[in-house]
Amino acid sequence: MTKSIETMWKQGFINEPHLTAPKINNLYNRKSQNMVDKLQHMFAINIKAIVVGSIIMLLMMSLIGAPWLGLYICVLLAPLVMIAKKELNKSYRLSKGQSSYDYLINFDHWLQSSIANYARYYKVFYPMFFIGMATQAIISNAGGKLISLLVQTLPTNIMLFGLPYYLVLALICLLLVITKYAEAFYRWDLNLIYGQQFKKLKELITDMEELRNEPQ
Amino acid sequence: MGSDFYLQSILPYAGIIIKICRAYTNNQENFEDYYQEVCLQIWRSRNNFNQESDWSTWIYRIALNVCLTQLKRRKKGDKQLVSDVLPEEVIDDSKVFVSDEINQLYNAIKHLSEIDRAVILLYLEEKSYAEIADIIGTNSNNIGVRIKRIKSRLSNYIQQKECSDD
Repeated sequence: MTKSIETMWKQGFINEPHLTAPKINNLYNRKSQNMVDKLQHMFAINIKAIVVGSIIMLLMMSLIGAPWLGLYICVLLAPLVMIAKKELNKSYRLSKGQSSYDYLINFDHWLQSSIANYARYYKVFYPMFFIGMATQAIISNAGGKLISLLVQTLPTNIMLFGLPYYLVLALICLLLVITKYAEAFYRWDLNLIYGQQFKKLKELITDMEELRNEPQ
Repeated sequence: MGSDFYLQSILPYAGIIIKICRAYTNNQENFEDYYQEVCLQIWRSRNNFNQESDWSTWIYRIALNVCLTQLKRRKKGDKQLVSDVLPEEVIDDSKVFVSDEINQLYNAIKHLSEIDRAVILLYLEEKSYAEIADIIGTNSNNIGVRIKRIKSRLSNYIQQKECSDD
C-alpha cells in the first residue's frame, strides 16, 4: 500500500460529479407494499395460532378432566377462524393496480371494517367464554368444595340452579361487565399485538398525504 | 418530497449521503433504498433543523442515523438481510463507483464496526474532532486516538488484501 488512506479517499473523489445520486422513485410503493405484506403475514400467523391454540386447549382440558370445556372453546373459536380467513381473503383481493396511496387507504378501510366485524364477534365470544369457564368451575370437584365452603360461611335459603343466590348474582354481574367491556377488551388486546404496526400504517398514510399536498 | 426541496437542499449534499450509504450497504439495491430513506428522513425532519449546526452536519447526522437504524432492522431478521451478508465476491459495485482503489477502501471500511465506520467517514470528509463527536453523539476526547486505531486497522486490511491478491 503506497498511498495513505486520506490520499486514496481524496483522489477517489476528485471528480465528485461522478457520485450520481440514485433517482428517488417508487419508495412509497415499496414501503406501502411492505407494510401491507407484513400485516397480512401477521394476520395469517394469527389464524394459525388460533387453530393450534384451540387444539392445545382441547388436549390440555382433556388432560385435566374437562374435555367438554375444551370442545366448547374450540367451537367458540371456530367462527373466529372463519371470520379471520374470510377477512384476510378480502384483503388479498384489494386492487394493487391503483396508486400506493389509494392502495393504503383501501387497506386501511378494509382494516377498520375487519376490526368492526371482529369486535362484533368478540362481544359474543368473551361472555360465552366466561359462561363456559364459570360452568366448568361450578361443576368441578374443586368448585363444588368451594361452593360448600361458601354456603357454610354465608348460609342462605335462597338457592338458584343449586347455587346460593349471591353467587349467581355475582356471576351475572361479572357477565354483564364482560359483555359491556368485551369490545374495549378486544381493542386493547388488538392494540397490544398490532398497535405498533397500525401506528406505522397511519404514519405512512399521513406522510403520503403530506407529500401529496406539498407544492411541486 | 417537493422537487424544489430535493434540488436545493439535498442534491448539493448528495455526495455525502452517497458516501455514507455506500459504506453501510453491500449492493446496489440496498444502496438505493438507504439513499432514498435518508432523503425522506431529511425532508421529514426539515422543520427540526434549528441552525445550530451546518446543514451538512445535519445531513450527516440523519444519514448515519438512518443507515444504522436500517442495518439494525435488517439484522433483526428482515427478509432483505440476505443481501447484507452477501460475500464481497458477488457484490456488484460497478454501478455506484468506478475507482478500484475506492472500492478497496470501502471494502476495508465495511469490515469496521458500525460506529468506527461513521467515525472514519467523517474524518475522511475532513470534519473536525469536535464535529465528529457532535455528529456521533460522544465527546471529542478520544476521537483522535480512535481514528488512529481505525486508520491502522484499515491499512492492515488493505495490505493483507494486496498481499493475498498478489
